[in-house]
Formats: sequence, C-alpha cells, structure tokens
Amino acid sequence: MEKKSLWKRITGSREALLALILILLFIIVTGFNSSFLTPSSLQQLIKNNAVTMVMALGMLCVMLVGGIDISIMSTLALSGMAIGMLLKYDYISGTIVPFIIAIAIGIVCGFLVGLVISRADVPPIIATMGFMYIYRAMGYLISNGGEWASASALGSFSDFATTKFLGLNCVIWIVIVCYVFFYWFMKWTRTGRKIYAVGSNPEAADVSGINVKNIKLLVFTIMGLLSGLGGALQVGIYASAMPNMQKGGEMDVIAACVIGGVSMSGGRGTVIGALLGSLILATIVKALPLVGIGSLAQNTFKGVLILVVVVVNIILQRISDRNALKGREM
Amino acid sequence: MAGKSGRSINNVPENPVKKMIFSWEGILVLLLIAINIFCSIFSEFYNLSSLLRQMPVYLAEVFLMLGMAFILVMGEIDISVGSIVCLSATLACLVSNAGVPFPAVFLIALLVGTCCGIVNALILTNFQELPPMIVTLSTQIIFRGIAEIVLGSGGSVSVTNTDGFRAIAGKVGQVPYILFLVLILAVIFAVILGKSTFGRSVYAIGTNRLTAYYSGINVQRVRFIIYTVMGTLCGLCAMFLISNSYGANTTTGENFEMDAIAMAVFGGIMSTGGKGNIAGGVISAIIIVCLRVGLGQRNVNAQVILLIIGLLLICTVGLPNLIKNARQSLKKS
Repeated sequence: MEKKSLWKRITGSREALLALILILLFIIVTGFNSSFLTPSSLQQLIKNNAVTMVMALGMLCVMLVGGIDISIMSTLALSGMAIGMLLKYDYISGTIVPFIIAIAIGIVCGFLVGLVISRADVPPIIATMGFMYIYRAMGYLISNGGEWASASALGSFSDFATTKFLGLNCVIWIVIVCYVFFYWFMKWTRTGRKIYAVGSNPEAADVSGINVKNIKLLVFTIMGLLSGLGGALQVGIYASAMPNMQKGGEMDVIAACVIGGVSMSGGRGTVIGALLGSLILATIVKALPLVGIGSLAQNTFKGVLILVVVVVNIILQRISDRNALKGREM
Repeated sequence: MAGKSGRSINNVPENPVKKMIFSWEGILVLLLIAINIFCSIFSEFYNLSSLLRQMPVYLAEVFLMLGMAFILVMGEIDISVGSIVCLSATLACLVSNAGVPFPAVFLIALLVGTCCGIVNALILTNFQELPPMIVTLSTQIIFRGIAEIVLGSGGSVSVTNTDGFRAIAGKVGQVPYILFLVLILAVIFAVILGKSTFGRSVYAIGTNRLTAYYSGINVQRVRFIIYTVMGTLCGLCAMFLISNSYGANTTTGENFEMDAIAMAVFGGIMSTGGKGNIAGGVISAIIIVCLRVGLGQRNVNAQVILLIIGLLLICTVGLPNLIKNARQSLKKS
C-alpha cells in the first residue's frame, strides 16, 4: 500500500478541494467585509439559503440516478401557497400542521413525477418541464389568481424562523437534521447504496436484483418531500406566500449540486459535496455585490459559474483518463 | 417474410387510406378538426377571420419548433431558446431605437440569435461529453442575464420607430405574412429533414450516434449546424414577436422552450431521437395555436393554458409507453 502525499490526498479528494475553495472564499470575503466571518452573519447566510441547501439534497438523489428535476420550485410554490391560503383563511393554525400539510403535498407531487418517469418512461427533463408548468399553474389557481398571503395572514406560523433553540435558529436546526439524516441515509442504508448502484449502472443494478423503477420513484418522491419542506421553510423565512416564489430557483439548486461535484450522468456525488457546493454558491452570491457586481448581473454570473464548473470537470476528467492510460502503457 | 430483394414484410403495401388515418399525422388531423369544433362551440367569436387575426402572436413560436424538431430527432434538447429570443428581441429594439434602418435591425436580430446558437454549438461540440441539457440550462440563464443587464433596472424597452415592424406584421388579404413564412420554412425544413443527406444523417445520429460516427457522418459538424440554425430561428421569432408587442422586456420568450418542445413532441417527434417528421410537428403546432386562440378569446387564464400544454406534453410522451408496457406484460402472462 503506497502512501499518498498530503497534497495528492487533498487534490485527489473532491470534498477536500471544495473545502479548500470555501475557506479561500471566506478569507477573501472577510478581506472585503470584516463582519462576514461572525457567527451571526454565518447563521444569516445559512438561513437565507436554507431552502436551496435542503433541496440540494433531493437534487443530489435525483442526479445520482442520472435524472434531473426542474419542477421543484413549482412544487415548492404549490405547497407553500397551499399552506399560505389555508393559514390566511384560518383553516389551520400553528406550526406543525402547516409543515405536515406542505410536506404531504410535496410527497404527492413528487410521487406523481416519479410515476410518470419510472412507469411511463418519460425522459426526466420532459416530464419535469411539464410538471413545472402544471404545478406552477395549480399554485396560481389555488391563490385565487395571484392573491398572496402576507405576514399578518400567516399568524404565528412564521415565528419558528425567528426563534432560537439551543443558541441556533430553528431553520438552521432543520438544515442540520436534514444533512445528518441524509449523510446516514446515503452512506449506511441499503436504499442509499441502491441509489448509487442504479446511478452508476442501471443494467447491472437491475440484474443484481434492484428494482430500478422503484428506486427512481423513491428518488423523485424524496425530491418532492424536500420541495414541500422547502415550501414551508420559504413561507416561514420570508413570512409571505406568493404563487411566483422562487421562480427560476431550480437553477441555484442544480448549480449547488454541480459545483459540489455531483455528476450529471449519475452515480457520482456525495452529501458533503452538496453541502459544500451550496455553501460555496451562497458565499459567492453574497460576495458579488462586495466586488462590484450588481444584482442585475447575478444571474449571468451564476450561469457562467455552472458552465465553467462543468467544463473544468470535463477537462479534469480527460486529463485523469489520459494519465490512467499512461499508467497502463508502462 | 423476407423476399429475394431483401425487403422485409413491413414493405407489403397496405391500404393507403387506412394507413393514413391510423398514422399519428392522421390522428392529429382528426384532432385538429375536433379542436376547431370545440373552440367554435366554446367561444362565439371563433371563426376563420378571427383566427387569422389573432394567430400571429402564437405563430412566432412555430419557427422554434422547426429547429427544435431537428434537435429532438438528434436525441438532444435545447432549453435556451426562450432566452435567445429575449436577448435578440432586446438588442433589436435597442438598435432600432438608435436609428438603425429596419433591414439592418432585422439582420442584427438574426445575427444575435445566430451568435447565441454558435455559443451553444461551440461548447457542445468541443465538450461532447457534456449533456446538452446542462449546457443549455446554463446558457439559458446567461442569455437572459445579459438581456437583464442590457435592459437595466427598468427591465423593458419599446420601439419608437414601428414602421418596419408594422410592415412585417402586414397581411395579404386576411392572411398574415408570418403564416406564409411559417409554411414556406416548414416545407423547406421538411424537405431537408426528410429527403436530404443531411436530414438522414440527423436521423442516423438520433438512432445510434456511435454507428453514425463509424459510418462516416461528421457528427459534430451536424450538431454545430443544427444548434446554429436554432439560434437563427430564435432571432426570426424575436423579430415577429416585436412586430406584435413593439417592445421587449426581461420576460420576453419565457416558456417558449416548453412550447416548442411540446409542439414537436405532440407532433410525434420522439424526445429519445430518431423518430418523427416536420409534418406532424406543424399540424400539432397549428392545433396548439388554435387552442390558444380559442381559449384566449374567452379570457381563460394564461396559467391554465400552460397547465393544459404541460399535461399534453406528459401525456403524449407517457401514454404510448404505458400502453406498450401494458401490452408487453400482457404477453408475458
């Protein structure tokens, strides 16, 4: 067993590289704005990006099986709008019940998407593109054509986003619980490993007795569940529910995953990668105004970022393939 | 039974009338008639002249379908088209306001679209391992982002000199120019896709890319041309959009990629590649245009129309597969 040098181990592991980039980013941003690296500022960063961070976990699962889901933000809008309207017209109150309803709606939405993709063999991009408009339209329809629920209409529901538990904001606790659960789920449960198996080679997975269709269905249902949770979080954090909330936000989630090293063709990617990817994206977006890039240019920058990351990935892949070939030639 | 000529049993001549009705195009024609009957019952204003009058707004998207058909037959997807439309419409409005004569504006719109298409094409052909979906997803954000930067905080621009745009929105009798243009382009594209060597190589790539490569087709060149032409068509679409709205904003061309894909897929062009033809796409495009005009006349919410198109998209792709799967499992048991 040959020992690897520390440098090789860092450049060899994607997560270590990402962590290094994140630390560098932190240092740069702190240079511009010294108040960035304080606990309260970091908490604010995570809280503002909680929705993206939570949903990146679902997108990780979807992309691991080689799929993509661009309907997520419509599911978020539908579930968030549903609880917003229910709270507004006093059908429900409190915090737990809206959360359960939002998650239930998310699960149903995700299950439908999964059914269409796994049972009717519709390519994920086409199916989710269709559902993106269907769910968004449904969210619009249940809002009576564009009504929105404001903070006063939501009552005590959004209190959870401002209360602290053991020194940390409740939203951050939810994010932490999700990440810990998924770290365990993807690494140490059979189902988690099956998702990886289906992603790296569907035929081999099928032959070795994994029900590929059910795994796909499960993955999109998980995505739906997290979108529902994201809907409740979104309504809570911003204390309002609108039918057009987070429109285009699916790009952020996909970008977070792609930066985190999740492969578009499936089978590659980790929970830590998704975490680091979404944190890097969040930090960059926060840093953009500091270096003089206005809010108007943010979208362009995000697009360029995704493109650069995927292209660099391909180039690295080609180099490593070439090196591997050299190694075999002797 | 394969004869001496090597032809398979599929080539045994059928009753041509029967074949035509049971083909997907035949079903679409029947559906078109049904939709028209439905619309004329649904809305008392729905007739040929009102259809022709309100058609141009929706016809601009049919240009996109023509390019999308090629991309889908190749087994790929381009979801940046809506943003290219937005960018070229924005720039066309701006140069028109700067006093550039109309023919030059027209060329600039086409050029901007073509350049965007070339950007997509360059990335996709140089890094062929990349899925087209993720590339066009990011260029989708980039192109619209550039339009947002150009438009500034106001987010919209309207043309001051509308003469040229009025001219291309003109009519021969009751029939708008754009309808002629759509039909002429459709015929040209149909001939290229169905009869030319280039078109057949597109089918070959869509059926099996590796085989196509080994049989001497320059796959990357074909892809380059198709993505570039898609960009040019976006520029054309942008010009006709401005001729309807006399302006552009940051949401111009939103959802157009879905409309174009829905039209093509509904017309029997498989998203997995290698199947379908332009004729089906054009008929389904006309169906969707009729549906939009009919529903629009009774002020049906735009979101509801999107919902219907979304459902249509999923059902046309999903139902045939479901039926096929059900048949297979029936055979097994």
